[in-house]
Amino acid sequence: MAGFVARRVLLAGPTLLGISFLAFFVLSVLPGDPLAARIDADTPLSAEAEARLRAELRLDRPVLVRYAEWLVAAARGDLGRSVHDGRPVAGILREAAPWTLLLNLSALATIYGLALPLGLLQARRPRSAWARLSEGGLILASVIPPFVAALLLQALFAVRLGWLPLEGTGEPRSGFASPGGLLSHLALPALCLALAGWAFATRYARGAFAEAVPASALAAARARGLRGPDLLKHFALLLALPLVWLLGGIVPSLLSGSVIVEEAFSWPGLGRLMVQAVLGRDTPLAMALLLLSAGSVLAAQLLIDILYPALDPRLRSEGGETARAPD
Amino acid sequence: MHRTDPAAVAGAPGAASASAGVPSERPPGARSRRAGLALLGGLGLLALAAPRLASEDPLLDLRLGSARLTVPAPVPWSERRVRLEESLAPPSRRHLCGTDLLGRDVLARLLHGTRASLTIGFGATLGALLLGLLLGGTAALRPGPVDLMLGRVIEILGSFPPLLLALSLVAASGQRGILPMIAGIAAGRTAAAARFARAETLRLQGTSFWLAARASGAGPWQTARRHLLPMLEAPLLVQAAFGIAQAILLESTLGFLGLGVEPPIPSWGQMIGEGRGIAAVAWWTIAYPAAALAVTLALLLRLPKVDSRVW
Repeated sequence: MAGFVARRVLLAGPTLLGISFLAFFVLSVLPGDPLAARIDADTPLSAEAEARLRAELRLDRPVLVRYAEWLVAAARGDLGRSVHDGRPVAGILREAAPWTLLLNLSALATIYGLALPLGLLQARRPRSAWARLSEGGLILASVIPPFVAALLLQALFAVRLGWLPLEGTGEPRSGFASPGGLLSHLALPALCLALAGWAFATRYARGAFAEAVPASALAAARARGLRGPDLLKHFALLLALPLVWLLGGIVPSLLSGSVIVEEAFSWPGLGRLMVQAVLGRDTPLAMALLLLSAGSVLAAQLLIDILYPALDPRLRSEGGETARAPD
Repeated sequence: MHRTDPAAVAGAPGAASASAGVPSERPPGARSRRAGLALLGGLGLLALAAPRLASEDPLLDLRLGSARLTVPAPVPWSERRVRLEESLAPPSRRHLCGTDLLGRDVLARLLHGTRASLTIGFGATLGALLLGLLLGGTAALRPGPVDLMLGRVIEILGSFPPLLLALSLVAASGQRGILPMIAGIAAGRTAAAARFARAETLRLQGTSFWLAARASGAGPWQTARRHLLPMLEAPLLVQAAFGIAQAILLESTLGFLGLGVEPPIPSWGQMIGEGRGIAAVAWWTIAYPAAALAVTLALLLRLPKVDSRVW
């Protein structure tokens, strides 16, 4: 068990390195002039000015050298400066990260809060009216793209009914808004992000609840007199396992979803930063963000791989990789 | 052959039953699957026919001697001609789905948008599946160091959320168009396809006929070609349908963010993005492309009755 964990952790290092190299490759090596975003087409630069700009950005060095320079600096904690306004990338990330964390955690709580009871209901009473209704809702939620859902929610709750604010965080420049204000601004984006993962999570929970507990064990527990909440408590650990597994599958969705939702609701988090960085050819910022997101996915999967055998003794003997949540 | 997995049996019911000597049975859900396939085929035909169906040029223009027969297109509007005087017209007999900000007919743009979405969806999924089969299949057929290395490559590629990878690739390429979109989305989906290919190949390697073929001396590649590929048909169809849905979703998302195909070529996601500010007053600019997206996705996802995950 310890060997398995050690092996996974050790392999994570080179994987992370590979991730950083791929991210750098994607952002820097493709055709497309990185200067194009910064040079105003109407004011042509003289040959020397352009050469100076290229040298300053080190575009005259080969790719591997540029990557090595970035790597050395990153190891020291220096992630470069944003092309857009010259601020250190690390500082920009630190500002935006709490917002994204708040949004994603709220969405996660909403997903689990909605998916678990519904999954349980659908597993236990698959033909009831509620189950059928929720199934219809699930199908609808899974074919409406998140950006459409964002627009619909905004049009309904913000424009038509005026119950909730349209966008932003409600944080005035000088201080923080009241908790109530923050909550009202958080409501729509979190709901939108949750909708994206909710259909998948509910179906998964339904399958998990239906199959996690073997019928014989269930019958035996019932025969001993366990009912309702006691029954759930008895099998809590067994039921929790697939839900932990689900977490690993949801994290990449949440990261991708954040990009759309933050952009649509002007939420000042890492996702919106990503769009700005990529559209504005802000390579240092985009690089750091790509690395962060891929690293988070890697960390989540690593956590699951370690946690799962720890919770489920049946999986401990093998040294192989545990299966992943379906794509 | 009876012990093979249900998916394979569903994919080749005739073959399996014929070899066992029982009358061929249709697997459950085949009728709805065929209906779904037919509808998708219809959508594809629509995409192909769009330039003739929605155009200001007549559908038929025949001259017979001194007589002339002109049949206008069913949707007699161009998808790109700007008519500012008809900007934001609500749905009417003249414009069945209304017009957008620049006065372009929404229905015409909707029909033409089918081409962009389906082309990119199919193209990207094809690319991802080919690359994925190569990566994952090789990893499964050659266990040991090759598997380990390829497994790391797949893991590295798969750690990037597909949207972020596609976004970065398309934006970094600096070009807008169908080919960068296909390349970017294919890259984002390759890891999933590779994992699928590797898992399926590993699973099929445990079957009896694989062992028999290898025991009688066939090499891994030969056996794979003759026995594995036919067995992969059914799961591949499932994965392809799901993949196309994801690709279309990615394409529309990128279009919404402004990175889609170059205007004036319409794309559903782009239409939704363009309608963003005016949704409250001109609901038709968003509602119709959104409905088109939802219907297409629903068709694709119901096809193999696979659970959908939005990203």
